[in-house]
Amino acid sequence: MSGTGTDARPESHPDAGDEGETFTGTGLERIEDRRILTGEAQYIHDITPEDCLHMALLRTTHAHARIESIDTSAAENHPDCELVLTSEDLQAEYHPMPCGLKGFEEWSLAVDTVRFVGEPVAAVVATDRYVAEDIIDEIDVAYETLDPVVDPLDALEDETIIHDDIGTNVPDGEEFVFGAVDEAFSEADTVIEREYSWGRISGVPLETAGVVAEYDPDADSFHIDCNIQLHTLVDDTVYETLGYPPERVVLDVPADVGGSFGTKIAIHRYCSLAAMASQQLDGRPVKFVEDRVENLQGGDMHSTQREYSVRLACDDDGTIRGLDVQFVDDFGAWPRYPVNQTLKPLSVLTDSYDIQDVRYRYDLVMTNKTSQTAYRGFGVPPHLYAIEMIVDEAARELGIDPVSFRQQNLIEPDAMPYEIPSHNIYDSGDYPAALNHLRDHVEATERVDGGLLDPETIEAQRADGRYRGVSYTLHIEPGVSGSDWTDRQRSDREALATRDRDAVNELPEHLRAEITEDGTVRAFLAADSSGQGHQTLVTQLLADELEILPSDIEVEYLDSGAAPTVYGSAASRMAVMLSGATQGLGERMQSNLCQLAAEEWDLDLDTVSYRDGAVERIDTNERLALSDLVAIDVANRSEGERLTRARYDYDHPATTREAFDTALTAKYPVYPTAAFAVNAPIVEVDTKTGEVDILKFYTLRDCGTQLNPVIVEGQAHGGIAQGIGAALMEEFGYDESGQPQAVTFFDYLLPSIKNVPNIEMQHSETPSPFTATGAKGTGEGGMIDAPASIASSINQALEPLDVVADRIPMTPNRLRRRIREAEATNDQ
Amino acid sequence: MSIETSESDSERPVREISLTVNGETVSAEVEPRLKLSDFLRNYRDLRSVRVGCEHGVCGACTVSMDDAVVKSCLVYAVQADGSDLLTVEGLADDGELGPVQQAFHEEHALQCGFCTSGFVMATRSLLKETDHPTDEAIQAGLADNICRCTGYQNIYDAVHRAAEYTQEDED
Ligand code: FES
Ligand code: FES
Repeated sequence: MSGTGTDARPESHPDAGDEGETFTGTGLERIEDRRILTGEAQYIHDITPEDCLHMALLRTTHAHARIESIDTSAAENHPDCELVLTSEDLQAEYHPMPCGLKGFEEWSLAVDTVRFVGEPVAAVVATDRYVAEDIIDEIDVAYETLDPVVDPLDALEDETIIHDDIGTNVPDGEEFVFGAVDEAFSEADTVIEREYSWGRISGVPLETAGVVAEYDPDADSFHIDCNIQLHTLVDDTVYETLGYPPERVVLDVPADVGGSFGTKIAIHRYCSLAAMASQQLDGRPVKFVEDRVENLQGGDMHSTQREYSVRLACDDDGTIRGLDVQFVDDFGAWPRYPVNQTLKPLSVLTDSYDIQDVRYRYDLVMTNKTSQTAYRGFGVPPHLYAIEMIVDEAARELGIDPVSFRQQNLIEPDAMPYEIPSHNIYDSGDYPAALNHLRDHVEATERVDGGLLDPETIEAQRADGRYRGVSYTLHIEPGVSGSDWTDRQRSDREALATRDRDAVNELPEHLRAEITEDGTVRAFLAADSSGQGHQTLVTQLLADELEILPSDIEVEYLDSGAAPTVYGSAASRMAVMLSGATQGLGERMQSNLCQLAAEEWDLDLDTVSYRDGAVERIDTNERLALSDLVAIDVANRSEGERLTRARYDYDHPATTREAFDTALTAKYPVYPTAAFAVNAPIVEVDTKTGEVDILKFYTLRDCGTQLNPVIVEGQAHGGIAQGIGAALMEEFGYDESGQPQAVTFFDYLLPSIKNVPNIEMQHSETPSPFTATGAKGTGEGGMIDAPASIASSINQALEPLDVVADRIPMTPNRLRRRIREAEATNDQ
Repeated sequence: MSIETSESDSERPVREISLTVNGETVSAEVEPRLKLSDFLRNYRDLRSVRVGCEHGVCGACTVSMDDAVVKSCLVYAVQADGSDLLTVEGLADDGELGPVQQAFHEEHALQCGFCTSGFVMATRSLLKETDHPTDEAIQAGLADNICRCTGYQNIYDAVHRAAEYTQEDED
């Protein structure tokens, strides 16, 4: 099973820098690893200040109910109880949590009504978590149960309303029409129309949410250690809830976070509650660590759940004329922070296909389920899935080989950069060549004697009820999100039509560094990370910029108080943004240092130059090393004027390109890099059990310039593993009464080593013309593309039975049912 | 809201236990319901023991107990009375990474690292049973651990490499 198609293998720290050696582009071994491997890493779960108290939450077991009364007296009388909080206490002093849509008022503890199983109703603080949970049981809540709404399509009817004050279960929806869609559909030879479902899945990081909050009564401020994601961007969800200005609510994320994949951007409820509790207790630190059951059932951690209705207009010769995508997205009880995931697919509206006339419509509905958060791909994986499904079925209906059909409609390389109808622009790539390349490789390797696709083997297996197949699909991974578009849903949409380009407000990425007395460099990131290796990346790039060794660089993190507001680690963004920032910072630092040296030597700036970690006089070759320069700087300049410190903000790459103006002004999702992948999972479906075995997963990936190929490949492997889980195993199911069916890891099934097949990965590098280093985003690939490609391979395998993977996850149960139904129809 | 409490905690039953952790003998008074994982993390400050699920599925809390791998979230501290425990903190030799740790590092078999101690302990135990495990043996040996970030290919590679290093160590 081991071995990959490439030899991306980490390289150890070289002891001495060979002249001219560069680290960018090499698989420099990760700096983060040692502390993790020796048990020295400090995750949020490990932080427990002296005197720390522990919080537990009482969560409702009802999907929909009115709270008649809450009796906390017995809990308060417990000898170990320090504090009990209910929404009444919160309303007296604090504010509701910011919501994704205007008009909603969500409090950190339920007020009057509970709307999903697991919604927190009260908080208890006690000396330890065990006893805090004991005390939770002493709280008595009387409920009047209400009818729940569980199915999103039922919710559309608005018979039972989840939020009386909003008056509808569909608080948001929009239709976008690009080109002449109606004409395309009426003129085309054929229209294929189908429905697909995408189940509730999510990132489910191995580390649950955690927070340690401490209120400082003297300064009237808060310090909150937590593992929230995007701590400089979403800190408003905490300080607004507390009712404090940002500078008095510092969020600090440890260097080690046990995975997030987007999901932890929405853990502000916990941060605020722990902070309120600490304030109520005069500044005693309060810790909350979510347990796994809480995380799975009511941790605001679920992600996209969609019902699609898709139409494709085609001509008989195989030309796709138009695409019409409509879906209902079940957001659960509250439109939480990431409502914009319904819009992100606009950035890859037609995936890799050249289609001009497109309609895109969504309804965002409320049901009695836990609220949604972001997850790797942020709404794109279901979209690509729906497109590949309808393309498969169109090819079948037209009687055209699916690969030829795709080839015929792919965007051509000479059309790059290519503006899709929704105004995002794909930067570069030769899609037809990539698809051909992988197809030829797999066919030559596997459709031969003894290969997995050996026609004789396929035949023999089929006789035994096992159907093998492969499909070749190409997917775009939109990278490097802009920030401005993400409040489209809160903007006046008519005003957007005439919005000024100057009103566009994009966030840069920030990096700062200082040279220390001994000549080593300390750099500071404004963004948090959760396993992506940002410290390593910045180290290797900065080593090249300053022509020093990685071992002379240390990379640390800024808290939300010290850091400017940046967008941060999300949306396949950091490699591009951090590499741009590092490049800019390096240049600025070099010119600072030259200036320092020129002043010291009393020379003109152009008679000195920076080389090999020192400034050199061109006439005498005399050198000032970094440590000398710091000494000079300290001696001659005040703190605020030091030239051995520099900071740099790398602007979002779209903001400097006029071509993006249309998208930017109208707040269409802007993703200036288009990484892509061709996938070819070879699957075998056992028609007796409905089980899908992925025999081997071929993939060819292109994320532009690879800054650290080992990390790039690691991201892809991890993403594909999650994609396999999404396609076949994972789901937050609910029964008709709104009870969640996956509340432990026995029911929410994550892929283990047994479920992930051998992956043969190839890479190509098409540098992005839009970014400083040519890198494209790559953090979400795999999860973005694997589900669609696996479903497409299942379609291919089951073509003789006329069964398609119309539902994700395609669990054995579901597939078996489809096969049984097809057999019944075929027998008639 | 805030409640006046007396200094003394409520009566909670405790039991005395004594065991060896990474070669060191320790005694403590613990509640019978205290999980071994919480004992190691909170009473012994052994951070390598991570809890991802607390119900025995993810394997993040895997430690070695009398030379067998156990999920410490499924064992009560009192059940470990008298036993010999090993955690990742006990593996590095004088600051040098042990063979399994080194192999995981070199093969990029970790990302966020939250699962990593559990995988390292499980791998160590697998290599004690089998010098050079096949991929099938690795699958069987590591099937009780979940990694959410890394995928598993680099973990296979790490185990193969660790097998080489362990052999070299013994030769
Ligand atoms: S924490 Fe023990 S197995 Fe998950
Ligand atoms: S590295 Fe994150 S869970 Fe394994």
